[in-house]
Amino acid sequence: MDPILQIKNLKMYYHTSKGAVRALDDISFDLMPGETLGLVGESGCGKTSMGCSILRMPTPPGRYESGQILLNGRDIIPLPEKEIRKDIRWEKISMVFQGAMNCLTPVYTIGKQMTETLNEHRQMEPKEAKELITEYLGLVGLPGDVMNRYPHELSGGMKQRVVIATALFLKPQIVILDEPTTALDVIVQSQIINLLKKLKKTFNLSFIFITHDLSLEAEVSDRICVMYAGKIAEIAPNEVVYGGDGPAHPYTRKLLEATPRLHQKVEHLNFIPGTPPDLIDPPKGCRFNPRCDLATDKCREEVPPIQEIGPGHYAACWHCHQKGA
Amino acid sequence: MSFRDFGYWLKDFWADFRKEKSGLVGIAIIAIAILVVIFEPLCLPWEETNSKWRSISYWQDNSPSAPPVWTNWFRSKKAAETARLTKGKREMVELDGGVKMVSETFTYDFQADEAPLDLIFHCTGTGENVNVSFEVTRPDGQTIELAQRLEQGLQAADVRLSAENDGRDAAFTFLKGVETEANMSTLSNESLRATHIIFNTARSGMSRDFKPLKGKYIFTAKSMLLDPETDKIDKPFVVVTGSVSGILGTDNMKRDIFSGLVAGLKWALLIGLLTSIVSVLVGVVYGVVSAYYGGKVDSVMQFIFQIFNSMPVLPILIVLSAIFKPTIVTLILVMVIFFWTGPVMTVRSMAMQIREETYIEAARALGASNSRIIWKHMVPILIPYSFADMALSVPSAIVYESSVSLLGLGDASIVSWGQILHEAMEGSAILNGIWWWIIPPGLLIAILGMAFAFLGFAMDKILNPKLRTR
Amino acid sequence: MYKWFAVKRIFKGIVMYALLIFIFSILFNSVNETTQKAQIEEQVRMESQRLKGTKAADIQRFQRERRESLYKLYRFDRPLWERIVLRTVNILTFNFGKSTIMKSQTGERDVLTIIGEAIPRTLLLFLVAAVFEIGIGIVVGLKKAQHPGGHMDRTTSMITMILYGMPTWWVAMLFIMLFVYQLKWFPSGGLHTVPPPTGAAYGWDMVYHMILPLFTLIIIGFWGVSYMIRNLVLGTMQEDFIMAARARGIPENRVLFGHTLRTAAPPIVTMALLSLLGAISGAIIFEGIFSWPGLGNLYWVAVQQNDIPVLMADLSISTGLYQAGLVILDLIYGFLDPRVKVGGKA
Repeated sequence: MDPILQIKNLKMYYHTSKGAVRALDDISFDLMPGETLGLVGESGCGKTSMGCSILRMPTPPGRYESGQILLNGRDIIPLPEKEIRKDIRWEKISMVFQGAMNCLTPVYTIGKQMTETLNEHRQMEPKEAKELITEYLGLVGLPGDVMNRYPHELSGGMKQRVVIATALFLKPQIVILDEPTTALDVIVQSQIINLLKKLKKTFNLSFIFITHDLSLEAEVSDRICVMYAGKIAEIAPNEVVYGGDGPAHPYTRKLLEATPRLHQKVEHLNFIPGTPPDLIDPPKGCRFNPRCDLATDKCREEVPPIQEIGPGHYAACWHCHQKGA
Repeated sequence: MSFRDFGYWLKDFWADFRKEKSGLVGIAIIAIAILVVIFEPLCLPWEETNSKWRSISYWQDNSPSAPPVWTNWFRSKKAAETARLTKGKREMVELDGGVKMVSETFTYDFQADEAPLDLIFHCTGTGENVNVSFEVTRPDGQTIELAQRLEQGLQAADVRLSAENDGRDAAFTFLKGVETEANMSTLSNESLRATHIIFNTARSGMSRDFKPLKGKYIFTAKSMLLDPETDKIDKPFVVVTGSVSGILGTDNMKRDIFSGLVAGLKWALLIGLLTSIVSVLVGVVYGVVSAYYGGKVDSVMQFIFQIFNSMPVLPILIVLSAIFKPTIVTLILVMVIFFWTGPVMTVRSMAMQIREETYIEAARALGASNSRIIWKHMVPILIPYSFADMALSVPSAIVYESSVSLLGLGDASIVSWGQILHEAMEGSAILNGIWWWIIPPGLLIAILGMAFAFLGFAMDKILNPKLRTR
Repeated sequence: MYKWFAVKRIFKGIVMYALLIFIFSILFNSVNETTQKAQIEEQVRMESQRLKGTKAADIQRFQRERRESLYKLYRFDRPLWERIVLRTVNILTFNFGKSTIMKSQTGERDVLTIIGEAIPRTLLLFLVAAVFEIGIGIVVGLKKAQHPGGHMDRTTSMITMILYGMPTWWVAMLFIMLFVYQLKWFPSGGLHTVPPPTGAAYGWDMVYHMILPLFTLIIIGFWGVSYMIRNLVLGTMQEDFIMAARARGIPENRVLFGHTLRTAAPPIVTMALLSLLGAISGAIIFEGIFSWPGLGNLYWVAVQQNDIPVLMADLSISTGLYQAGLVILDLIYGFLDPRVKVGGKA
């Protein structure tokens, strides 16, 4: 099976007056059709930039430095904006934002915004459009008259469902979900997650699920991709990370350790000392070395490449390479 | 926030602020203005401008509505500049009978193409019988004894001898000696200025047109001190009244406009700074108190706020001034009463957020009183945000005062820029094209306003990150 | 939802206005009453003129009686607070009385007529100016927001700051010196030439007189509007929903006008109207310089001629217009912002 999306050595920097922020620094991973790839990391590690970059919409002053984004084998970075808007963005790849936050224009009704999006991509009679929208609203569990409401009249959960419906109604292949359940309470969160799972099966979608919540990733993702300081630390199947021996990379291990378990006795809370590094001037060698208790001189000098250390298991750490093949 | 914290904040702030060039320009202008105010006595060409603005005698030697001196640059025929000769040579000769004769000699280099408007000698005289005379020696060697006066019973009084007032006859006598009969008959004593004769090249036809006699003129004032013990002549000086005068010319009451503007600077700064600082401080405290107490207190305070917010400032200001005739201090007070509403809304919403912060709760748990929380924890945080507001209110305050003064309703005892413009309107300056009266005061208001705008916008950019454009 | 909001707001405005007038009545009580008493004296004297030929003692008695009855009419025999309330009610019902000296165009001394003539002239000048200022301001402001930090943005912002403290009426003085007296292109002021032309020429004559004041207002006014619009649009453009709209494939044009501008419309309209209100209330000097016989100029004339009734009435009407403006502003904001119109937290 060929991957539906391939990110190859992608570099995307934000050029600010204080210097270039290396938000995505040589990122490579694949997305297989029908899988959910979880993207995990601390705040400021670059995962939000990832979402926008895949849509070929880096937030200004971001710019692609090098690398490729191959959609079905075709690099979308050099394509003209018009073509991206017509064919790629929202047609093949769409995004579910944090609905509970500010991603719906407050002065237009839901219906108007969804219709507007629809009309940009398809030629439809107003009646047809209305039918389609109502159908998808139904799919996410919302009544049709939501179309006449303004965003502020809806609860966080309802807005999230609207955003999901909007992301799906053009039947894209890939959906990027950027923290879709943050800022929602736990009950609504589980409802949304179940909804997403159902829709994925119905429409045979591939998800890129971005979050900082490890427990959530455990539930939804087939594979986990851990990012740190603009680079990939580890890519591993779900079972490897959450079961068995656990993850290989020290950072991932520490992340897991930092999550208290419900059924364990907690003496004191584990945490990762230090702060995320400055992306304008990152540490030399392995970016995690200042906070890693396994760091050696080699770690401080040379950047560890990503290497396969098991079936479908990749890690960028000098210690892991010794363990693996 | 302790002083040390404030120091750190200031250092950060300054590092950002330095990048805003316009802000630096603003500060520079304001600094210059403050320096001028501090050193006002040195900057004022006419030192007693503040107290003598309305006195006629102080300005009497100037010419009315005279353009600035530098306009001569643009003229082919140079007009005479008003000059003040204070350094004379004093000679004392003793005559018999113990009488002393004092003579003061002044040299004047006349290079203009047009005649001066008057030639005046001043001295401060004391004595029972003081005899003063004034004469001119021209470059062509001829001497005209312009005037002579005997003053009695002087007690350090000003003695003034002017060519136009006292020296016409002498000038005319001189003229008669040179001019033709025919030309003389067409003249009357009133039609010709004495200076037109004094500074004119002696020739027939000189009454018809003016050919400047350029060169060194010697003005001699002689006075006889009959009783040298008690009689005195002090502080002699000569004024050559030209038709261009001063750095910025004169108004129709012969007042030096540049002096008036320099004198007005301190009022502009005072009004602007005092109004904006006091009103913004009041506004911040008001907003914090209103947000902190919430509930009923907040509702009442908001209601009061609405009342003040609904009043159109200028009409009320004008009616109040028309009826109650305020002084500058009362005017500032009234303006504060209007201006304090400015920052209240933003401060209130920010204060409401701070109120929910845990450290406030902690402070309360530790037993801090309400006023302590307000004054020590909330107000100091919000004040920096209001700095931009303060700077940006200054121009409005200055313009309001100018507007009120322009209508003639301002404090008449001070010289403010608005006052000067009011007098310009009364003196039909627009109609008569007296641009040097109209342009400078308004220009200064605009420049000072601009300086504070630069300052305020630069501060706003730093303290309000949403507006950053990277 | 909206109707209820509108009614509440209008009601609040009226209450506020009444309160303000009440405060004014208290504040200016002594002045008003002095003027009233003077007017009574004048009336009494006028009436006694007609009694020529009667004995002096009789005249005096008549005067005393008339004076007393007039005092009764104006409630001078009643306690202070009652007089104040009466005056408040009078003003609220537009019962302004007679002026001391000033006359309307038709020669009347009825203050209401005098003011009534002046209002439309002020509104004409300032509303037309506002339309242009806002129009140009929007165009320039949007251009600035599209290239923030760029050349045009920085230049126009610089000019805005330079003009920030510049009194419009001073610029008016300069323009008059230049265009009226130096170049002689325009008349020096007033509404028409004297005597005013008739027919179609009347309109053109007024337009001719309006050009210079309009030009002055617009050329100074649009900078502030454009700066403010630029900031509001820029601030809105950084919101998440704008990025989301772009992600959904909405073309840049529609993102700018449809989403950004429309969302920023409520605060934009608010600020534009506020500056219009500010301009009108500050029009006093400006109209005076141009001798434009509007509400502002009336202050000038009333102050010079010491005509208190006109001054008071002018103040009341100005405050009333200002209040009405604030109410209209809130109503428009509420209409444009669905969060207010359809309820919920704004």
